[in-house]
Amino acid sequence: MRVDRILGLVLLFVALVWLWLAFTYIPGARGAGETGPRAFPVLLGVVLTGLGVALALNPGPAGEAVAPVTRREAVIVAGTIGVLVLYAFLLERVGFLIATPVAIALTMWGLVRVRSATRIVALAIGFTVGCWAIFDALLGTPLPRGSWVLWLR
Amino acid sequence: MGPLAALTPEAIAATATGAIVGLVFSAIPGLTFSTALALMMPFTFGLDTVPAIGMLLGIYSGGMTGGAVASILLGIPGNPSAAATVFDGYQMALKGQASLALGASVVASAFGGLFSLIVMMLLIEQVAAVAIRFGPAEIFALVLFGLSTICGLAERSLLRGLVAGVLGLMMMTIGLDELDGVGRLTFGTIQLQQGINVLVAMIALFAVPQVIKTFIDHGTSADSAPGGNVITEQVRGILPVRPLLPYWWLMVRSSMIGTVVGAIPGLGGPVAAFLAYDHARRFSRTPENYGKGELGGVVAPEAANNAVMGGALIPLLSLGIPADAATAIILGGLLVHGLQPGPLLFQTSLDIIYAMYVTIVVSWVVILLVQVAGIRIFVHVLRVPRHLLGVCILVLCGIGSYALRNAIFDVYLMAVVGLLGYALVRVRIPLAPVLLGLVLGRTLEQQYRTALILSEGSHGIFVQSPVAAFFLALTLFVVGWQIWSALRRRPEGEVG
Repeated sequence: MRVDRILGLVLLFVALVWLWLAFTYIPGARGAGETGPRAFPVLLGVVLTGLGVALALNPGPAGEAVAPVTRREAVIVAGTIGVLVLYAFLLERVGFLIATPVAIALTMWGLVRVRSATRIVALAIGFTVGCWAIFDALLGTPLPRGSWVLWLR
Repeated sequence: MGPLAALTPEAIAATATGAIVGLVFSAIPGLTFSTALALMMPFTFGLDTVPAIGMLLGIYSGGMTGGAVASILLGIPGNPSAAATVFDGYQMALKGQASLALGASVVASAFGGLFSLIVMMLLIEQVAAVAIRFGPAEIFALVLFGLSTICGLAERSLLRGLVAGVLGLMMMTIGLDELDGVGRLTFGTIQLQQGINVLVAMIALFAVPQVIKTFIDHGTSADSAPGGNVITEQVRGILPVRPLLPYWWLMVRSSMIGTVVGAIPGLGGPVAAFLAYDHARRFSRTPENYGKGELGGVVAPEAANNAVMGGALIPLLSLGIPADAATAIILGGLLVHGLQPGPLLFQTSLDIIYAMYVTIVVSWVVILLVQVAGIRIFVHVLRVPRHLLGVCILVLCGIGSYALRNAIFDVYLMAVVGLLGYALVRVRIPLAPVLLGLVLGRTLEQQYRTALILSEGSHGIFVQSPVAAFFLALTLFVVGWQIWSALRRRPEGEVG
């Protein structure tokens, strides 16, 4: 099946890049009889090369097809990962208490298409405060406070 | 303190919280308790060791039990382990016996869980006593065997399972090499010196793809929002003892099946439940009633899938080898709290192991209470809108990755690995072997290299020891058998 062939070729490519990286950046064994830090990564690269070739040459039965990626799926995947990256960016700069409601509101509005402002505000604020209370106050696990808003401390 | 550390208010509260979270996550179709385990991990950081482990084991017990609620009331399994319960559980609910089915599933679950706990208590120290004499060559062979079984059994395609395992091992090699003190593929960054943390990876692999899937399913036909079809009117909390008396021997046999299946790496709850269901039907005097609302069809899979827990804890605690994704996550949690599962644990922290036994009993008491006293409230979790839950889980992914070592870098890493996880799910590469490669890889490599240092570079050390040779032969057998059965299956659906 075609997907298996493409997957096999992608894995083969990953394996070859991996091997190149391993030989370039990881030093080999220092003496005879020692395995060294490079041996294991190289071995894994070789095994993945073999698996990639096997998958490309010998694809599985057609019954196990992989559904094609739709436009909607691509948008949601990109959106979710985008929100996570943005969330990390904001956590570092404006802290948990500001970053979290922004991330929640953005996800609700943009990804799950909630249009009720009341619902968005309620969940954004309620969940943020709830998490803050449990982690920071009750369990003593500090949450990020943000480098731009030190005055909030 | 000893085992009594599991009975402090803090420990009981943590275990109860875990059990309830496990019940809720596994009751909601589309969420699994592996996700719950990964997400709840940061909550344990602020706790002492015993309450922290109590919370994780509570999630495990609750998670194995809660799936039946959706199976019986919705006809959709709450998690894969409860899939076999649908056949007769849902039919019973349609016949107006929902309360009996729910009660029976809880009693059978508790029976299976406690049965396997006793088996585990009887066997585990013996296994550990044998394993304590293992050297690097034996441990290497054993870990390799565990990994290959899981890769082989996780998906129908052996190739994909192996790809998953190798990808996990590759991710493990990134970071500081502990034997030589050399950074591997860290590209000079300090953050990557510690490697891809197992906890970050499990949040990324087991929560992010699920959230994405929830968002995609939302508003489409796949999101047949349960709400309407839940059979809740007639649900009452009952503990059926009399109706179950004729089934006691079936419960014992199903629990034995579950315990054995649980102890074999790579099989896990769904396999145990289906084997027990099949066994029950085959040995029933009225096999024609199965599938039409037969009580035995609920009792057998529920006893078996809960018995998996005790079985799976045997290799986890005595050998340090997780048998499935859930136990791999628990292993990660134990490591965070400074406990390295394996034979040494029985010499250094025996009191904590005993405390675990007590904790499991506590979690069952909580589960029974919830299912009997709180079942009318509990069934409403089936109506929780999944997409809003997804939003909350996304935030928890961020908190969980950050809280491990207070590093924003880990949140970025989680997003990247999460994307990888979703891509792997899409091309049907199973995620459990990735996690296991990541968890077990370090042991695998270190024992291999230590063995070779001991033997001064001769690979003969791996076959001179009978134990190592045995496990290596077993590994070859498992992989060979998989290849053979894959080749035999080929002619049926082959296109090219």
